[in-house]
Amino acid sequence: MKSFEYLKRRFKEYYKDNKEKIPLVSLFDQREFGFIPWDQQIRMIRHMGFATRDNLIKHLINNGPRHVYSSGSLYLNPENKDMKNKSYLGCDIIIDIDVDHFYTPCKEDHDIWYCKECGKNGKGMVEKCPNCKKSKLKKLNWICEKCLNVAKKEIIKLIYDFLIPDFNIDIEKMKIAFSGHRGYHLKIEDNDLRTLSSDERREIIDYITGEGISYEILGLRKMGDNIFGFSRETIGWSQKINRKIEEILKKTNIEIETLLSDKRTFNLNKNFIENLLNYKNNFLNIIESDNMNNWTLVNSNLNTWYKFLGAIVEEIGIEVDVPVAIDIHRLIRYPGSLHGKTGFKVQELNPNDLDDFNPLDEQTEKLDPIVFVSKVQTIQKLEIIESDVPATKIKGETFGPYKLGDKIEIPHHIAVFLLCKGVAKSI
Amino acid sequence: MSDIYDLVKRYPWLPSLKTYYSDIALKNPLDFISEIFSSNKSEELESRVLNLFNDAFNKIEHLSEYELDEINIYVYLILRILLYIINDKILSNRIANIYSKTTYNELNKENEYNLYYIYQDLNLKVIYEEQPFVYKKFVVKEQKEIFKTNFKISFLDYLKLASNLKDEYRKLVNNALLQGYVYIKPENINRLLQEHVRKKLLIQNNEVSSDFEKFKERLFEIHEFKKLYTTITKIWESKKEEFEYSIDITFKEGKDYSGILPPCIKEILSKAQEGQNLVHTERLFILWFLNSLKYPEDKIINVFSTLPDFDREKTAYQVKYAMKKGYTPYSCKSLKSYNLCFANEYKDPICLEGYYSRMQDEQKFISHPLKYIEVKEYRDSKKLKKTKNQSQDQK
Repeated sequence: MKSFEYLKRRFKEYYKDNKEKIPLVSLFDQREFGFIPWDQQIRMIRHMGFATRDNLIKHLINNGPRHVYSSGSLYLNPENKDMKNKSYLGCDIIIDIDVDHFYTPCKEDHDIWYCKECGKNGKGMVEKCPNCKKSKLKKLNWICEKCLNVAKKEIIKLIYDFLIPDFNIDIEKMKIAFSGHRGYHLKIEDNDLRTLSSDERREIIDYITGEGISYEILGLRKMGDNIFGFSRETIGWSQKINRKIEEILKKTNIEIETLLSDKRTFNLNKNFIENLLNYKNNFLNIIESDNMNNWTLVNSNLNTWYKFLGAIVEEIGIEVDVPVAIDIHRLIRYPGSLHGKTGFKVQELNPNDLDDFNPLDEQTEKLDPIVFVSKVQTIQKLEIIESDVPATKIKGETFGPYKLGDKIEIPHHIAVFLLCKGVAKSI
Repeated sequence: MSDIYDLVKRYPWLPSLKTYYSDIALKNPLDFISEIFSSNKSEELESRVLNLFNDAFNKIEHLSEYELDEINIYVYLILRILLYIINDKILSNRIANIYSKTTYNELNKENEYNLYYIYQDLNLKVIYEEQPFVYKKFVVKEQKEIFKTNFKISFLDYLKLASNLKDEYRKLVNNALLQGYVYIKPENINRLLQEHVRKKLLIQNNEVSSDFEKFKERLFEIHEFKKLYTTITKIWESKKEEFEYSIDITFKEGKDYSGILPPCIKEILSKAQEGQNLVHTERLFILWFLNSLKYPEDKIINVFSTLPDFDREKTAYQVKYAMKKGYTPYSCKSLKSYNLCFANEYKDPICLEGYYSRMQDEQKFISHPLKYIEVKEYRDSKKLKKTKNQSQDQK
C-alpha cells in the first residue's frame, strides 16, 4: 500500500535523523523487544534482544517499524522464543493510562462509531449499538487536548495522591512517557518492586483504583436509623473519601447539584441531593471533626450511601489499564520511538514537566512529540477514505472535519497523522 | 527477650534454624532421618509425630501437645518429609492447618520484643515504633473504638504474605497504608505468618518422578521411619473416607441435598474439604445458602471447621448472627461478578442451558442457586416417577 510505504520511509528518516536522541532504557540488554511492521495484516515480531543501543538504532533505521516496544520484564535470555527459557529476572511496575478505557465528555464530539449489524452510527463512547444492542461496532477514536488533559491529570493524581504519599515510591524511580497517542505510561524501576508476582501487582492496582474496597471494614455502620461514616483519623482510603466529600461539600449548591445528579457518575436522586444540601454545613462540620461521624440524612438509606460512596471512589481512583499492570510479560512502547497510529513520538517526561506539557501543542522543542513539522511549511495532498473524519486540532490549528472523498491540502505533520490513522490516502 | 535458640525451638520454620541448628538443618534428609531414628530421641519423636497426626485425624482444632524443646525442631523437619512422601492433598492441608494454627496461637503469646525478632529473622521490613500510632478509629454515638499499634510492615512484605489469602480484610485497599508501610497489629502479622507456615508445609509433589520414588525407597530402608510412615498411612486409609465426607451437607429434616447442589456450592465445599482457605465472599455465600435450606447451626459450623483460620467460637457467633438476619444467598449474577460461578468448569447443563417452564413453552435460565435446587429436585422426582411407572408396567 502506497501510504504504508510512504510512512515507513518517513519513519526510517526520523530514526536516522534522531539516532542520538533515542534514549537508552535501563538494563537494556535484559529486555525483550517487539516490533509491528508496516504490513496490511498486523503482526507482532517479538522475542528480539539487542546487546547495544546502536544495534537497536540500526534496526530502526533499516526497518522503520510502525510500532516499537520493549519489555517491562528483565530476562537473562530476552531473545529466547520460549518464555520458560527466557529466564525471567523480574518486571518493572507498568501503569498505562489510556483514554480509550474511560469516558470523557469530548468523546461525544470526536469518537465516531458505526454498527456493522444494523448500520446505525453516532458519536460518543459506546460498547454496544444503542439500536440493535449488538457489539459489532466499527470505531474511529480521535484525540483532542481535552481528553489528553484528562489522561495527564490521572497520571499526576497517580503520582501525587498514591505513589508518593501511600507507597513512598521515589520519584527518581518513576519513568513517565506520553504514549504517542491517547495516554501516558508510568514505569517504576525498583529492584524490590520488580520481584512482585501478578497477584501482588493486582493488589497495588486494586488499591489505586479502589477495587474491592469494603465500606464496612473502613467503618461505615448502620445502627437503628442512624448511619455512621468514616473517621478522618483512619489512615488510607477512608481518609481519602472523607477529603473528597469535604471538597465536594465546599462547592456551591449549584455545582454540587450538577455533580451529584450527573447520570454518568453519581446519578443520585433529587431527594438525597436536596437533603444533603439542606444539611451541608452540619455535614461539613462532622466531616471535619475527629469525634463525630453521624452521616444520617433524612430519607437516606445504606444503599444510597453505597451509591454515593461508589461514585466518590470512582472520582478518587485512577483509571488504569488493569491487564497491562498485572501482566509481567507485557511489552510497552519504547521511549523516543514513533507511534504508528499517529506518527507522534513516545515522549519521555520528567514529573516536573507534566503540568505544562501539551502533546498537541508543546512549546518546549525537546519535549514536542509532533516530529514531522517541516521547518518550511510544505503542503501535502490527500484524499479522505473514511465516511466521517472528526476535526483535528494540532499546533493550535484546526483541520477538518472531513467527509469521504474530500480532497484536502494540509501541512505535512497533519498528513502523517491522517495517514497513520488510516483515514486518508496520498494522491 | 528470649534466647534465640529458644525462639528457634518454638518456631523451627524460622530462617535462623539454619544458622543456630546448622548440624540438623543443613543435613541431607536421608542422613538426618537415619541419625535421628537411631538416636535416643527416636521414641519421643515418633510419639509426638504420631500424636500430631492423630490430632489431625480426630479433627481436633489445635494440637494437643506442642512442646517448645529441641525435639520440636525434629518434629517439624520430619513432618515436612512425611507430608512430602505421603503426598496427599487433603492430609497435607489438614496437618498444615492444625500446625500453622498452633503456631499462630503461640505467636500471639509472645511479647513484642520476641515478635520483633521473629519478623526480623524472616527478613520482613517491620518497624517497631515506641509510641503507638492510631491508624483506625470508629465512632458510633458516644462509643469510640480506637485501633493503635506499634508495628508497621513494608507494603511489599505485606503483599507477599497477604495476597494469597484473598480476603477482603487483608486487601491492601482496606488497610492503613501510609508512606510505604501498612500499620498493623502484631496479631494480624501473626495471622499472615500462620499462612506462611501453612504454605511451608504444603510441598505438593504433582508429578511423581523416579527420583521421588528412589528417595522414598531409601527412606524406607530406615526401619523405624518406615514403621512410622506405615502406621500413619494405615490410619489415614481408614479415616480418609470419613474425611472426604466430613462436610455433612446431607441433612435437612431428613432430606438429602448432597446430590443436587449447584456447581458454585460444590466448588466451595470441595475447597473446604481440602482445608483450603475460603475468601470472605465464599464464606458468606455458603453460610447464607445452607441457612436458606434450613441447615442446623452445628452442621453449618462444621463446614468451616477445616479452614486454616477456623475459630469455633467466632464462627458460631457469625453463623448465629446470619441465621437471625436470614440473609439471601448471592444470585447467579453476583456470583459471576465475584468469580464464584463454576457452571462452565463443571459443564453443568442446568446452569448452562437452563430449563423449560412446566408448560414446556419457554426456556428459562437459572438466576439463583436456590432455583437450581428446585429445578434439580423437580427433575429428579420426575425421573423417579418415570422409573416407578416403568417398573409397574413391567409387572
